[in-house]
Amino acid sequence: MSPFSKSSPYDVIVCGAGHAGIEAALAAARMGARTLLLTGNMDTIGQMSCNPAIGGVAKGHIVREIDALGGEMAINSDVTGIQFRLLNASKGPAVQSPRAQCDKKAYQFRLKHTLELQANLSVFQATVSGLILDAGRVVGCRTALDVDFYGHTVVVTTGTFLRGLMHIGSNKTEGGRMGDFSARTLSGSLIEAGIQLERLKTGTPPRLLGRSIEFSRLQEQRGDAQPTFFAFHDTRDDAELFHVEHPGQERLGWRPGDRQVSCWITYTSEESERIVRENLHRSAMYSGEIVGVGPRYCPSIEDKFVRFADKERHMLFLEPEGRHTGEYYVNGLSTSLPFDVQIRLIQSIPGLERAEVLRPAYAVEYDFAPPTQLRPSLESKVVPNLFFAGQINGTSGYEEAAGQGLVAGVNAVQRVRGGEPLVLGRHEAYIGVMIDDLVTKGTQEPYRMFTSRAEHRLLLNHGSADVRLLPHADRLGLLSSTRLARTRIKRDSIEQWVDRLNREAAVGGTWGDALRRNYPVVLPSAFEAESSQVREEVKYRVLYQGYLERELRLVERLREVDRIRVPESIDYLTIPGLKRESALKLAATKPTTLGQASRISGVNPSDISLLMVSIARRVES
Amino acid sequence: MDDVVFTFFGGPRSYTGEDVLEISCHGNPFIVRKVLDDLLARGCRMAEAGEFTRRAFLNGRLDLTAAEAVMDVIRARSDRALEAARLQLRGALGRRIDRLVGDLLQCCATVEAYIDFPEEDLPVEDRMRRRADLAALLAEIGGLRATRRHGDLLREGLRVVLLGAPNAGKSSLLNRLAGYDRAIVSEEPGTTRDFLEEPVLLGPHRIRVFDTAGLREAGGAVERAGVERSLERAEEADLVVLVVDATAPCPTLPQLVRDRLATHAAVLAVNKCDLPERHFEWPFTATLARVEVSAQTGAGLDELRRVLIERADRITGTGSDEEHVAVNARHAVALAEAEECLRRADRLLAEEHPLELVGSEMRLAVGALGAIVGRIDHEAILDRLFASFCIGK
Repeated sequence: MSPFSKSSPYDVIVCGAGHAGIEAALAAARMGARTLLLTGNMDTIGQMSCNPAIGGVAKGHIVREIDALGGEMAINSDVTGIQFRLLNASKGPAVQSPRAQCDKKAYQFRLKHTLELQANLSVFQATVSGLILDAGRVVGCRTALDVDFYGHTVVVTTGTFLRGLMHIGSNKTEGGRMGDFSARTLSGSLIEAGIQLERLKTGTPPRLLGRSIEFSRLQEQRGDAQPTFFAFHDTRDDAELFHVEHPGQERLGWRPGDRQVSCWITYTSEESERIVRENLHRSAMYSGEIVGVGPRYCPSIEDKFVRFADKERHMLFLEPEGRHTGEYYVNGLSTSLPFDVQIRLIQSIPGLERAEVLRPAYAVEYDFAPPTQLRPSLESKVVPNLFFAGQINGTSGYEEAAGQGLVAGVNAVQRVRGGEPLVLGRHEAYIGVMIDDLVTKGTQEPYRMFTSRAEHRLLLNHGSADVRLLPHADRLGLLSSTRLARTRIKRDSIEQWVDRLNREAAVGGTWGDALRRNYPVVLPSAFEAESSQVREEVKYRVLYQGYLERELRLVERLREVDRIRVPESIDYLTIPGLKRESALKLAATKPTTLGQASRISGVNPSDISLLMVSIARRVES
Repeated sequence: MDDVVFTFFGGPRSYTGEDVLEISCHGNPFIVRKVLDDLLARGCRMAEAGEFTRRAFLNGRLDLTAAEAVMDVIRARSDRALEAARLQLRGALGRRIDRLVGDLLQCCATVEAYIDFPEEDLPVEDRMRRRADLAALLAEIGGLRATRRHGDLLREGLRVVLLGAPNAGKSSLLNRLAGYDRAIVSEEPGTTRDFLEEPVLLGPHRIRVFDTAGLREAGGAVERAGVERSLERAEEADLVVLVVDATAPCPTLPQLVRDRLATHAAVLAVNKCDLPERHFEWPFTATLARVEVSAQTGAGLDELRRVLIERADRITGTGSDEEHVAVNARHAVALAEAEECLRRADRLLAEEHPLELVGSEMRLAVGALGAIVGRIDHEAILDRLFASFCIGK
């Protein structure tokens, strides 16, 4: 039967093969759903459009959660990583996070090959031009080739490609990424379907030619001698070098942690500041060419000099883009200044006086669909069976995109199967915090994850992601039985050791007391024989016991309201006593639970009381 | 404290479905406060906004008829509560609370910056400076908490107790302060057997002056009972004026009085300073305010009034350099909670514990202050962070 046939639709069609689309397609296919992944360009699958790195504080946490839920980002980063560093080692175990520089090409080739080898998954190169709707629901998508694809569900992961517009000074080029096209007609189709779109902006720095950089004048930043990886299973074991759960042909990659390369640090000079200031009027951002809102945490170099005028110099990282290329990414030098100014600016930086630019920096404006239009499952409230994930939801970052993609892919399958969607709690995962923030509060700038967004971050230490998310992975069948079994054993060992250390007597109390008081104790040799993952998690739970218990009490107090569902058909404007302002806010967000309702900004406790009474009345009548 | 009526509603047929005890007391705000403070001291806590309705809901007690009535009440009550809260937070108190919240968020943002942006070129992390920030926050919270009694003190009047040996001249001094002969004055020591209370206007303050029975160990049963009562008064007093006779040696003072003299809530009035013979020597080195007066001639009375006004200002927080504020019970509870969190944060900093724990305590402090100013979104911390630090890669 033809795959294009209307009579045998796919279960899930994913539009876009970036970091969100890949995880969505893999999750759906691995759950056994018939899945189609459409990409505008087979050669840019899994492209790292901005910096060649995965992870970092909070983002690294997300990557580990993706691994815990059977996603691909962690393993792909481990086997194509060329430098590994554990950030925040001194700030405490909960906020520590792994980060890796990756080989850009190896990263995307391996992902492409992984998709090709995945059972239940078809990949096809076609530009999606619009949605096909039937009675208000999405039933497929139309492509620029005039081929229609039918599916029970559609996941839109188009990144910055919707009416993407790139700016370099006053030069404007259509496209979602330098060298790629812009999806022009899909925006119109989404608007027609009733989905509201707004504009955001982001930017990327220039890339330089390695042999034109004087590294001897830069400060070297090496990887960790003992690298920390993203994947929970040891990918360094030869037998498990490539994804153990999905055997197939040999894929690109190397022993994680082998032959690490360095990054390099330099700073802007006084001359750099002068050049930027003198040319501010020629920057796309400062001349008013750009209407989209950019991220505060990723300001352009123009912004840095203007807003923080008292800072003498700004730090820049030169990051290698791969093993087999001399291209370097200049982290910290995002700009929309014209090309001639960019070159002078770069050459004003110590060590880069003779640097050759391979690609210019640019700013890109694109459409995003404000995520308050989504349910916590990432399904559209407006168009049933349509899911959104990634940058189109107003986020920024590969990790944020991938986390949403995985959830959207799983939930598309759950939609088809009539199963309970995967909605992670704020106390369970950074992915849960992110999606709750997005669908409850929306975002005014490209949303990036920070640990400070997670009020229960002590519960979300990166090392516990697999154990924490085990019940979800188990329920949804996201992991192989081998991995499930292994994680269960790990969970049990951790629990047994925590219990034992807190019970058995040692110097001045129990082992636990000794650890908490920082007494020098020799722990039982059987404990020291456990894996480092188990030992670290046990120590974390024992040391932080009081704090973790306090967090759990807070979570428990909030949980009861999170369990109360708000009926979808509720008409907020007719609730007696509810202020119109609050009613409109609630109506705009359509919270699914009372907990979510209470997190909407501007909705106060008395509004929640009224809502509760109103729900009780409906139940009664 | 008060005569109250207890009404017990046994669950599950109460409003919330749980056992409920209602206490009806007299409407005097002072009494209400007393009752509330007592309950809080016994381990009760304030209900969260909407908590009764939530409990009723969770216990399936919000039926149709109750719901109809409740909706009106919630709206009306929350409007009133909102209006009341707005009024409370208008003016000086609102400004001080806003500044406190702002400073706390700023401190939080600084801690979070080091956690969320380890790769940025931030100034070197300075735990001593964070501790100094915390000390400033704690001082402000302590100051605000101390204003809890101000409102009542202003309403009720400050209690000033005249205390001293028999015949030191307490009653004469009361008459001088009152401006007319309120107390019977006699050469015979121990004339005042019980205590007398007299309202007196002292500058901006309305105070209640208590004249008490003289302190001495000898004497009959009636007089000993009087001494007992004098000490009770002194214990409850907002301000104690120890009256001594300049012509007599320093009397032996009960421990309670000596303790009180070590605080700011005491003044020493050396009476009969017009007489030539001086036997009195002050044996303590404390920085006690000391005024020489003569109840007989009126000498030193203006100075005594000035010192009393200065002390009263300090106690009620109505000093000229600072605007008058008074927090209510709900504020005080929230401030106490925030204070506790920040003390723990300070200890964590001092003991070199990881920054993530410091951050955790500080965020709980932010949450506690949310009970005063309304829920503070974590986005507020990020706003401060990006405004203060050049973050960006």
